[in-house]
Amino acid sequence: MVGALAVLLGVVALSVLVGANPVPPGDVLDALLGRGTDTARFVVWDQRLPRTLAGLVVGGALGVAGALMQAFTRNPLADPGLLGVNAGAAFAVALGITFLGVTMPAGYMWLACLGALVVAVGVHVLGGAADLRASPARLVVTGVAVGAVLAGLTSGLTLTHPDTFDRMRGWAAGSLLERGPQVVLPVLPLIVLGLLVAALTARSLNAVALGPDVAQAQGVDVRRTRVLVLAAVTVLAGGATAIAGPVAFVGLMVPHVVRWTLGTDQRRVLAGSLLGGCVLVVASDVVGRVAVPPGEMPVGVVTAFVGAPVMIALARRRRATAL
Amino acid sequence: MRSAVSTVRSRVAVLAAVTALGLGLSACAADADAGTADPTPSASADASDAPRVVEHARGETEVPAHPQRVVVLEPVQLDTAVALGVEPVGAAVLNEALGVPAYLGDAAADVQTVGTVQEPNVQKIAALQPDLIIGTESRHSALYDQLSDVAPTVFMATQTDPWQDNVRFTATALGDESDAQKLLDAYDARCKKIADEFGTAGQTAQLIRPRDGILTLYGPTSFAGSTLECVGFTTPERDWENSISVDVSPENVLDAKADHVFVTTTDVTDESSVPEAVRANAAAFPQLHLVDQAWWITGVGPLGGQAVLDDIEKILSAAS
Repeated sequence: MVGALAVLLGVVALSVLVGANPVPPGDVLDALLGRGTDTARFVVWDQRLPRTLAGLVVGGALGVAGALMQAFTRNPLADPGLLGVNAGAAFAVALGITFLGVTMPAGYMWLACLGALVVAVGVHVLGGAADLRASPARLVVTGVAVGAVLAGLTSGLTLTHPDTFDRMRGWAAGSLLERGPQVVLPVLPLIVLGLLVAALTARSLNAVALGPDVAQAQGVDVRRTRVLVLAAVTVLAGGATAIAGPVAFVGLMVPHVVRWTLGTDQRRVLAGSLLGGCVLVVASDVVGRVAVPPGEMPVGVVTAFVGAPVMIALARRRRATAL
Repeated sequence: MRSAVSTVRSRVAVLAAVTALGLGLSACAADADAGTADPTPSASADASDAPRVVEHARGETEVPAHPQRVVVLEPVQLDTAVALGVEPVGAAVLNEALGVPAYLGDAAADVQTVGTVQEPNVQKIAALQPDLIIGTESRHSALYDQLSDVAPTVFMATQTDPWQDNVRFTATALGDESDAQKLLDAYDARCKKIADEFGTAGQTAQLIRPRDGILTLYGPTSFAGSTLECVGFTTPERDWENSISVDVSPENVLDAKADHVFVTTTDVTDESSVPEAVRANAAAFPQLHLVDQAWWITGVGPLGGQAVLDDIEKILSAAS
């Protein structure tokens, strides 16, 4: 855990030092202290620090949301997107771009939040989340189905409106560009709340991992745990998507890597996924900045590049990762 | 048993329908062939009305001397046709919701849309019964045979060639090269007039199209970029990577510095459409102008060129 923290600090330092504009490290330090050239100050304060903050928030939220989803469904391949939250956010953004003329990431943020929330509530009601006897599978199937319908509507909308397609392209890839404080700060309280709720459920999730009957025998209120977990996943995945757009693979991959290294105690898994998500998203963003000079590659594309090989390695492991 | 019989019956019905459709289609094709192969007696009598042979990206095609029902699949072809006074019956557009670009005005009011530039709708095109279809090999190559069955079809090579060449090609297909050259000469003359009037020589200009936080800088070979050079501006030097534009990270926004910087938007009154990176460096961009992407980016052609020149003239007179 201390090692993970050290890695995180290293990645954050890289994120401030490295970018498309080759500002010398000395100038970056000067700029951090408020001295130095205008260019260096702009690059550090207006570009790299805001996107580092956005990357930390998005990565942490997605990592924890993924860990919660996998523990809750007792399925190592679960992903926050299974609840249809991302698809709901994307559909709301597509509607806003097409019919309301929204053009800025700050506007997308509110639309995405609203879309994620509406879909989450809908899926929870349809999937019988409050019904203790209903298995989590029912909820997941509902989420996947609703997500598929919304994804279909979104592509229908973007294919018939090339303008929307053009604008959605950047958002749908997942990007940290122009995600300044005005985009991140309104979502931050939600995400902090989601993280707190996640921390509260960690101990009960250890019991739930053994099956609802065992959990109940151990005195865990399974229904309460379920509602809290779903609320946290909705807020975390919805909030992260609202900031950056859908960033693939983070929620799926990070908890796995954490379980390989830190074991299966949910308290350690959740804390590790928080740090791991931060590291993965910020590091991917740094790679994206220097991958295709003089332009940039969106962070979502980079996480997919990193994610696919890890998924293959995962599939080739002799033993499936326990929960 | 009953269900088996009905399945067989419905299969027979489908087969019959398909056969009938096939016969109908081949009959249509035969008609079309007959139409193009036999010029009417009056046409062969008068040389100027005789069908012309146009050389294009797909070979040589015989087209009517004076096409009346033209369908165009590329913005530059639409702009050129309207500028030459030939209102197409149909046009593929960039955005079906917006339809035919508004800057073309009343002269293009009756143009029907036939799908998008990326995906033209062959059925809609056929329904308009065109006598000439103009498309683009680099975009519509897969549709050539289908379109040729509808009407004589000529393809320009690619939309990234110099736009004047594509204007001339479209004019050749329409049989009006001389008027197209007049339009291009008028454009050049107006450029020179603006250059003389405002003394633009030695000043730099850069066009930026903001996209998802990335800045797309347009170079001297792009439509609007070449227009900026035409009025005497110089585009700041950089590696254009043999492309009309280069994507640049917002960290390098100062690469776009120039005496005049033009930023494209869909709403020129909306100051928030200036990218954040540019706003944060306001001091480095003293002469910043919001311009409409409807003609600066997609209005390729003689009419769009004049609209861009209108903007430049207006901006320069306000600045001086």
